[in-house]
Amino acid sequence: MAGAALLAAAAALPFWLNRTQPYFLQLALNVLIVAVLALSWDLLARTGQLSLAHAAFFGLGAYTSALLTTRAGVPVVAGIVLGGLMATAVAAALGVLTLRLRGIYFAIATLAFSETLRVITKQLRFTGGSAGLVTPPLLPANLPAQYLVILGILLLAALTSELVNRSRWHFAFTAIRTNEEVAAVMGIDVVRFKVLAFAISAFFAGLTGAFYAHVFLFINPFEAYSLAISVGALVAPIFGGLYTTIGPLLGAVALRIGEETLRAALGSGFLIIYGLILAAVILYMPRGLLGLWTAAAARRHAGERGVTAPVSGNGQA
Amino acid sequence: MAIFGVLRSGLYSLASVGLALSVGVIGVVNFAHGEFLMLGAYLGYWLFASYGIDPLAAIPIGAVALFLLGGAVHRLGIQRVLRSPELNQMLLTFGISIFLQNLAIILWGGDPRTAAVGYKAQSVALGPFTVGFPQLVVFAVAMTLTLSLYAILGGSRIGKAMRAVAQNRVGASLIGIEVDRIYLLTFGLSTALAGMAGLMIALQLSTSPFIGLLYTLKAFAIIVMAGLGNITGVIYASLVLGLSEAFVEFYVPQGGGWAEGVFFVLILVVLLVRPRGLFR
Repeated sequence: MAGAALLAAAAALPFWLNRTQPYFLQLALNVLIVAVLALSWDLLARTGQLSLAHAAFFGLGAYTSALLTTRAGVPVVAGIVLGGLMATAVAAALGVLTLRLRGIYFAIATLAFSETLRVITKQLRFTGGSAGLVTPPLLPANLPAQYLVILGILLLAALTSELVNRSRWHFAFTAIRTNEEVAAVMGIDVVRFKVLAFAISAFFAGLTGAFYAHVFLFINPFEAYSLAISVGALVAPIFGGLYTTIGPLLGAVALRIGEETLRAALGSGFLIIYGLILAAVILYMPRGLLGLWTAAAARRHAGERGVTAPVSGNGQA
Repeated sequence: MAIFGVLRSGLYSLASVGLALSVGVIGVVNFAHGEFLMLGAYLGYWLFASYGIDPLAAIPIGAVALFLLGGAVHRLGIQRVLRSPELNQMLLTFGISIFLQNLAIILWGGDPRTAAVGYKAQSVALGPFTVGFPQLVVFAVAMTLTLSLYAILGGSRIGKAMRAVAQNRVGASLIGIEVDRIYLLTFGLSTALAGMAGLMIALQLSTSPFIGLLYTLKAFAIIVMAGLGNITGVIYASLVLGLSEAFVEFYVPQGGGWAEGVFFVLILVVLLVRPRGLFR
């Protein structure tokens, strides 16, 4: 119910905002981009795997689509879908290589992979080198329509997330996150589920990157593979509340809007706040904003019945 | 070519041995390692620019300053997540890394800074080769410091305690080693080593807020090659990285740019072929 109302409000937003304040519609579109990245990052995190470089797949999607549309004449919409699929395929390959090992190796490999993609893109001539690429537009000069497209992508990601959380996959993911050895003994194909989660996660990141390329009309290796994208994708779910659909969305809205005000004051150093939030949340509120909410609700509930609420959660962030 | 690779590996050893130490003894993978190195490099730059102190003379200052900073970070943060899931530990150090990098951007701006010591452009003949004097000095200092760490770990009481904790935390505490204190000392030592490597970077190269991530990644490549937690393998692994980079720079067209990606290829190859490391 609440979800449907929220969706209706989000879909109505462009018709209300566009006439009076295009700036806010642009901001809303940026929020949705971060929201898709956050949600897809969280999907992978549910298996206990830490990707420090979601930007790798964002950039891969952006460059795949940009190159296909400019160099091979592929239509923009097809380019965006292929961008997502390219990210999926590469993630599956990288996953098969690195997800057999301890989580640390995977985290290191993702970070190194992202930096290396940047180097390759910068060095090659057909990717436009460090100067970047100009891309053909998706739905030219129609911000409300562009907004609805990314809202659709977000909806797809949210549905995927809910499906995962309500199916048997949920138990597999949680078991793997809690204890891989035990999960394997229970008959869960640990590597397969981790690779699957990684591939789905990368698909949405690639799709969003490709969308970004055709809405902002220009990409370069420094922005497409930027640390800011990776950091935003992981701080939002941690801040909002991990392993849920609503938590990453909540975090994305709060952080992206906060970032807008900070950028003006701190310039490119605004990421400092993300570092602070990350450290503070891990140390003091490992269940994020959503955790604060459920704890408060539990206290209220307990107050009515006159019993003390158990403190929920034990820092499984 | 080989000689440049070897000279470079000295700095790589010093830059990564601290990370190997914290991984090996505490079991914490510190994604902020490069940022401590970056802070050391800025310290070297400022001491030179403001007081004319040569980065070589600043080594004790840098070591003490970064030891204290590392100790504080351990007390306030790392110590609290030692029993948390690995995911939390990595996220915390990643958060510290982002914080320090952007603090540097805000405080000092993004421009690279160079400590222009008098002998920066001098070179020495080494047999048939000519190499920069700063490179040679940095190599000598870095190797001396790295080997001193090996001596400390091998011989002193504190070093033996560290190795004991690395092998078995519970066993070590049973025979009367204060594990928490060893962790604190180890983390401080690890950041002090990063800080000294930073001073050497201020001397030989230049510093900017962005060098941290690059050295973190190169240090990762080295400790993955050495095998996580293997401290003595760091020197050999650094040689592999230094030589490979020098090789790419010399023999590949536009090699200067491609060399920045060598560390990733090495990480990937090691993970594929021999994930427990090449040197154990």
